Amino acid sequence: MKGDLVLSKAHLSYWLRQLRKEADLIAPLRSMAGDIVFSSVENIHDIVADCPANLPSPKEFLFPQMDEMYRFSPKGVERPAKNQKRVIFGIRSCDMSAVGLMDTFYGGRYEDDFYVERRKNTFFISIACNRPDPSCFCIGLGTGPFLKEGFDIQLTDLGDRYMVQVGSTKGRQIIKGFDHIFRRPKKADYDDQYEANLSCQSKFEKRITLENVRQKILAGEVPDSFWEGVASRCFQCGGCVYQCPVCTCFNVVDWKETAEKGVRMRTWDACMFKGFTKMAGNVWPAEKVATRTKRWYSHKLLHWPEQSGKFGCVGCGRCGVTCPGKIDMATVATRLEKKD
Amino acid sequence: MKDTAKKKNGNRGELYTPVMARILDVADMTSDVKLIKVERPKDFSYSPGQFLMASVWGAGEVPISITSTDGVHKEIELCIRKVGLVTSALHNLKRGDLLGIRGPLGNRFPIETALAKDILFVAGGIGLAPLRSLVNFVLARKSDFGRVAIIYGSRNPSEVLFKDDLRNWAEKGMDITVTIDRKAEGWKQHVGLVTEFLGKQNIPIKEGYSFICGPHIMIKNVMRDLTLMGMPTAHIITTLEAHMKCGVGKCGHCYMDGKYICTDGPVFGYTALKKSGAFKT
Repeated sequence: MKGDLVLSKAHLSYWLRQLRKEADLIAPLRSMAGDIVFSSVENIHDIVADCPANLPSPKEFLFPQMDEMYRFSPKGVERPAKNQKRVIFGIRSCDMSAVGLMDTFYGGRYEDDFYVERRKNTFFISIACNRPDPSCFCIGLGTGPFLKEGFDIQLTDLGDRYMVQVGSTKGRQIIKGFDHIFRRPKKADYDDQYEANLSCQSKFEKRITLENVRQKILAGEVPDSFWEGVASRCFQCGGCVYQCPVCTCFNVVDWKETAEKGVRMRTWDACMFKGFTKMAGNVWPAEKVATRTKRWYSHKLLHWPEQSGKFGCVGCGRCGVTCPGKIDMATVATRLEKKD
Repeated sequence: MKDTAKKKNGNRGELYTPVMARILDVADMTSDVKLIKVERPKDFSYSPGQFLMASVWGAGEVPISITSTDGVHKEIELCIRKVGLVTSALHNLKRGDLLGIRGPLGNRFPIETALAKDILFVAGGIGLAPLRSLVNFVLARKSDFGRVAIIYGSRNPSEVLFKDDLRNWAEKGMDITVTIDRKAEGWKQHVGLVTEFLGKQNIPIKEGYSFICGPHIMIKNVMRDLTLMGMPTAHIITTLEAHMKCGVGKCGHCYMDGKYICTDGPVFGYTALKKSGAFKT
C-alpha cells in the first residue's frame, strides 16, 4: 500500500492486537498511582490514546535507565540478547523527533551496538499532537506538533478515525497484510486533517525561537554572570536531564553479585551532578554549578546545531514541568530572547 | 563499502566489548606507578597519542594512554598510577593475568607537521607517559627531524619515571633537562618548574614545535609562556585527559566546549583550544 490511509478507530484495537502477536506492544497506560506512562500492554483497551502530551518520554525503551551490558564470571563474558521486537504506540511528534536525534548521536562513526540493536527492532506508531501542554514549544523547532518526515507511521486523530501516514520501510512493514482495515482518504479526510493540525497549532501557549537565542550566545551577548544566575537556582537534581528525550549521557558500573561474577551495566547519568567530570588527581573541569548549567545549554543550543544542524532540544517542555528552580529551557530561552 | 569504512575507522561491531590480552610483565616504577606490558592483539596497530580503555571485570574501565610505540616496542605498554578503584585493581594484576583492552582510541599527535623541524617536548609527572610514545617514534626516525629536546619535571627524585629511556634518549642525542620541584638531598640535576627552563634548550622557539603533557595547570602555563616567547600557537600541541566511561564519544563525561576529548582528542593544538575557550590565558 502506498500513500496516505484512513483507519477507523473501531479497527485500531484489532490492528494493535495483531501486531502484538509478533512484538511487545508499548503504549501509554494508566499506572496504579494514576499517572500515565509508557508500559508493556496486556489489555489493549487499557491504552490511553488521547493522553496528555507531557507524559514521560519512551526513551528508556531504546536507552534503558539501567542496561545490562555484560555478565561476567570465571567462565567468561556474555552479552544479554536485546533483539526483542517492539511496537511503540502513541509516541508524540516531539519524542519521535528526539529518536531521530538519538539515531544521529548513537550512530555515526562509532555505532553504539546496544542502541542500534534495540532501534532496529523497534517500530513506532506516532500520534500527531492535538493537545499541546502549556509547557510545549515544539512548534518553534519544527519537531512537532505533526511531522513531515522521520516517523514510521503517523496517526492524526480525526474524531472517529485516524489519518494514517506511512513514513518508512518499517512503517510499511507494520501495515502489510491489513488492507482490509485501511482505506484510501477522501477529500473530507484531508480537510479534517488540515483542521486538526491548524487547531492544534493555535493552542500553543509558548512561542520560542531557539535560533534567536543561539545567535545571541554566538554574538557574545550572554555573559557568564547570566549562567551564574541560572546556577543559583539549580538544585542539581538532574531532573531536566532524566526527563529530556535527547539527553544520552551514561555511567558504566561493574556490579559484583558474588566475589567472582557480576554485571557490567550502564545507567543514565546527568551532567548536572557534581562528580560528573571529576578526575583522578582532583582535576575537576566542571566543578562549579554555573559551568555545568552553561555546559548543558551550550551543548543543546550551540554544539548540536554545529555538529548536526539541529538543536539538541525538541521543545517537549518536560524540563519546564520537572525543574523546581524554574531554569528550564523555555524559561531560560525566553529570558535570553528578551534580553537586550 | 560503507561498512568497510566504518570498520576501518570505528568499531568492529561491538563497541564496548574489551579484548582480553595477556599480561607479560608488571614492573614497579615508583611507589604508586607500575608499567604493565600486555601482549599485543593481532590487529592492534596504533599511533603515538592514542589511548585505550583498560578494563578489569568487576572493577570497571579507565582510559590509559599507550606509552609504547608501534614499531619500536613489541608489547603494548601502559604506565599506570594507582589513584582509584580501577587503577588499584589494575595494580593487583600479575604476569600471566588477562587484561581487557579496548582501542586504540582517539586521535594521534600530528607529528608530520613537524617534519624536518626542531622539537621541544615538555612533560610533567606521569604526563611523560603519552609523550614517551612520540619521543621514541621521533628518535627512531631522527634524521627526519631537526634537533630534539625534552624538559621533564617531577615533584621529587623518587617520582622520576622512565629513567632508562631518559638515558637512552640522551645517548641518541636528545637534549635532556630533568627537573624537580624543590631541592632534595643527593639530587644533582635541575630544580624548579618546567616553565623556568623553556628557551634554555637548543631549540629555536620561533620555528620549533612543542608537544606538551602534564598536569592541567602546567600545560596551561607552558602553552602561555611559549606563546609569549614567540612560538606560533599552531606549533603548540598538547594531549588532555578527562573522566571517561566509553572512550568513543557516547557517555558524555569528557565533553568540553563542544568537543569530546576521547574522539576529537585527546591531542589538541593550542590554536583550537584557544578558539574553543578552554585554557583561557
